Amino acid sequence: MGTKYDVLINEGLVNGADILKSSKYDTSLGLNMAEDARRLSDGLISEEEFVSKYQESVSKEFNQKLEVHASEGSHDNVKWGMVIDLRKCVGCETCTVSCKAENRTPPGVSYNQVFIEEEGTFPNVSRTNIPRPCMHCDKPPCASVCPVRATYKADNGIVVQDADRCIGCRYCMVACPYGARTFDFGENYDEMLGYEEVTSPEHGMDRGKRKEGKAPVGTVRKCNFCFHRLERGEEPACVETCIGDARYFGDLNDPESTVSKLANSSRAFRLKEEYGTEPRVYYLR
Amino acid sequence: MSQSAMLKESNDTHSNQTLAKRFKIWMAVLIVSMIAGGGAILYRVIEGLAVTNLSTFVPWGAWVAFYIFFVGLSAGAFLLSTLIFVFGMEQYERVGRFALFTALICMVVALTFILLDLGRMDRAFNAMMYWNVLSILSWEVRFYLIYMVLLATELWFAMRIDLIKLAKDKSAGLKGKLANVIRLGSSDTSEISAKKDHRWMKILGIIGIPIAIIGVHGGTGTLFAAVAAQPYWNTPLFPIIFVVSALVSGTALLIAMYVIQRKVRGKSVDLTMIKGLAVLMIFFLIIDLTLEFYEFLVAGLSMKPDKMAVLDVMFTGPMSWSFWGVQIFLGAVVPIYLVFSKRTNQSVKALTIAAVLVVIGIIGVRFNIVVPTQIVQSMKGLPEGFYFPNWVEWLSSLGVVAMGLFLYSLGARFLPLETQEGEVKGHE
Ligand code: SF4
Ligand code: SF4
Repeated sequence: MGTKYDVLINEGLVNGADILKSSKYDTSLGLNMAEDARRLSDGLISEEEFVSKYQESVSKEFNQKLEVHASEGSHDNVKWGMVIDLRKCVGCETCTVSCKAENRTPPGVSYNQVFIEEEGTFPNVSRTNIPRPCMHCDKPPCASVCPVRATYKADNGIVVQDADRCIGCRYCMVACPYGARTFDFGENYDEMLGYEEVTSPEHGMDRGKRKEGKAPVGTVRKCNFCFHRLERGEEPACVETCIGDARYFGDLNDPESTVSKLANSSRAFRLKEEYGTEPRVYYLR
Repeated sequence: MSQSAMLKESNDTHSNQTLAKRFKIWMAVLIVSMIAGGGAILYRVIEGLAVTNLSTFVPWGAWVAFYIFFVGLSAGAFLLSTLIFVFGMEQYERVGRFALFTALICMVVALTFILLDLGRMDRAFNAMMYWNVLSILSWEVRFYLIYMVLLATELWFAMRIDLIKLAKDKSAGLKGKLANVIRLGSSDTSEISAKKDHRWMKILGIIGIPIAIIGVHGGTGTLFAAVAAQPYWNTPLFPIIFVVSALVSGTALLIAMYVIQRKVRGKSVDLTMIKGLAVLMIFFLIIDLTLEFYEFLVAGLSMKPDKMAVLDVMFTGPMSWSFWGVQIFLGAVVPIYLVFSKRTNQSVKALTIAAVLVVIGIIGVRFNIVVPTQIVQSMKGLPEGFYFPNWVEWLSSLGVVAMGLFLYSLGARFLPLETQEGEVKGHE
C-alpha cells in the first residue's frame, strides 16, 4: 500500500505506465485506480464512490468482486487512550526517536519526551522514567485558550492540532500543564539528504515538501496519537516500537479492551490530576 | 486652567523657526529609528521567529511584555481622560485630548507588537474570522477593535469644533486642509452643538469605562490569570493588578508627555495640574504595590512549591535585577520619594523624572509578569528556560515604539489636540 510520504522512493521509480504495459491487464484501468486510490486515502472520495466506480471494470478485467470494507472495524464510537507501565519503561527513548521518525518532526520539535526523576539519597534512591506524549486531555486547556479553535477535542478523544488554521500565538503552549506542545521555528536537519521531502504526515495530510514559511512552520505542533496510523489499523509509532512493551493503546470506551482494564487497575494514575484536565494517558505505578 | 497661563504663552520667546527645527530633528531621529527597527522587523518576517531568543521553553517574550505594557498605557490614559470628560475634573482638562490620542496610538503600538509575535503573521486575520467563546484572547481581539473605534469617535467629538474652526482658517495651511477632511462635513459651531459634543463624550466615556477596565485591560489580565498551568498568574488578584498598574503607567505617561511637549515648544507648564497628577499617580502606585505585596505574601505563606519556584526566580534568579532594580527601586521607591519630598515636589523637572521612572518601572513589571513564570518549566524533567531579548527583538521594539511616537508627533502637530487651540494658535 502506497504511503504518502515515500515520495523519495517514488521519484526514483520507473514510470508506472511502463510497468503496467508489460502486464496483460488494462493499463489505463490500473493507472486510474491507482490515482483514485490516492484520492481515497487523502479523503477526497469515499470508499463507496471508489467501489461503485470500479466494480464493473474490476470484475470484467480481473474476475474479482470489489467490496466496501471500511465499515468493518469501524472507529465510530472509539475513544482512544494510552496506558504506560512505568515499571516496564527502561528510559531508552525509543518512543521519542520513533515518533520523530514517524512524524518527521524537525529539530526542536518533539511530541514525546522521557523525563527521568530521581528521588531519595544514596543508597536509598529510586529512579522513575516518565515518558510523556500529549495527554489528549478530555478537558484540554490548550483547546479552551486557542483564539481560533485551531486545536480542539475530536470525537475520537484525540486533541487535534490544525496546522492550517493556527496563527502561532503560542497561548496553548503556556496553557498546557504538561509541556506537550512545541513550536516549529522552521529549523531543519539540513545535514540530512532529502530532509525537506516530506513534512508532518499527521492526520493523513500530504503537505508536500517542507518549505520556509509554509505550514506547519510557524505553528505549534503536538502529538496526535499517530492518527494516520490508527486510520490504517496500526498502533501509534511509540507504542509499536517500545522495547519494554511498556505502552498499551486502545479504545477506552470499550470496557473489555486491555487499556480500559489497565486504566481501572489500582496501579493506574494520571499526571497532574489536580488541574482537572482529565488526561487520556494513564500511567501504571 | 488660568488666563495668566495663556497670556504667558503669548510672550513665547521661541521663534517659529527654532520650533520647526526641533520638530524636524525629532522627526529625523524617529525616522532613523523606524528604518533601523524596520530592518529588524523585515529580518524577522523573512526568517521567522527563529531569529529571536524565544524558544519552545519560553514561548512568550519581550513583544508580549511590550504588548501588555502598551495596552496598559492605553487603558490608563483613557481612564484618566474619563476623569475629565465624564467626572468633570476640569483641573486636568489640558491633557484630556492628549489622553485620548495617546490611548489610541498606544493601542496601535500594542497591536503591532502582538502581530510581530505571531508565528504566522499572514494568518492574523484568522483571529477575526474564527471565534472561540472560551478563549479570552479571542474576546480581547474584538474588545481592542471596539475600544479603538470608541476612542477615535470620542476624540473626534472632543476636537470637532476646533476642527471646524481650523478648516475655516485660511492661514492654517496643511493643518486646515487635514481638519477639513477629518471634520467629516460637520460645520455647526454653536453653543448647543458644543453641549451635544460634551454629552456624546460623556456617553462614550461611560461606555468606555467598562470596556477599558473589564474588556481591554482587565481582560488582558484575565488572559494570563486564566492559565491554570502558570500558578503565578493564576490568581483572581491578577486582573485587578493589571488595571491598577495601567492607571499608574497611564497617568505617568501623560505627565511626562505633557511636560516634555510644553517644554520643547517653550511653553509654560501648569504646575498645579502636574502636582495633582503626580499625587494621583503615586496613589495608584501605592495601591498597586499593596496588591502585589499581598500577592507575594499569600503565595509565600501558603508555600505552594510551584508558586515558590516562580517567586524564587523573580527575587533571586539571574534576572532579579529587573524586579529589585527596575520595578521596585526605579519604578517605585525613587518616584515616591521625588513626589513626597518637600525638596523636589515643587520642581516640574523632578516630577517629570518621577513620571518617566514610573513608566520604566511598569515596563519592568510587564517583563516580570511574562518571563519568570515561563523560566520554571511545567514538567520537572524539562531543562530550565532562560530568556533575554536579543538584538532583533530590541531593535524591532525600538522601531515599533518610534512608529508610535512618530504617529503621535504627527497628530500633535496637525490635529487640534491642545485645548482652546484656536485662541493660542495666533501666537505660535
Ligand atoms: S497534554 Fe497539553 S497539549 Fe495535550 S491535550 Fe492536554 S493540555 Fe493539550
Ligand atoms: S498557537 Fe495556534 S493552536 Fe496554539 S493557541 Fe495559538 S492559534 Fe491556537
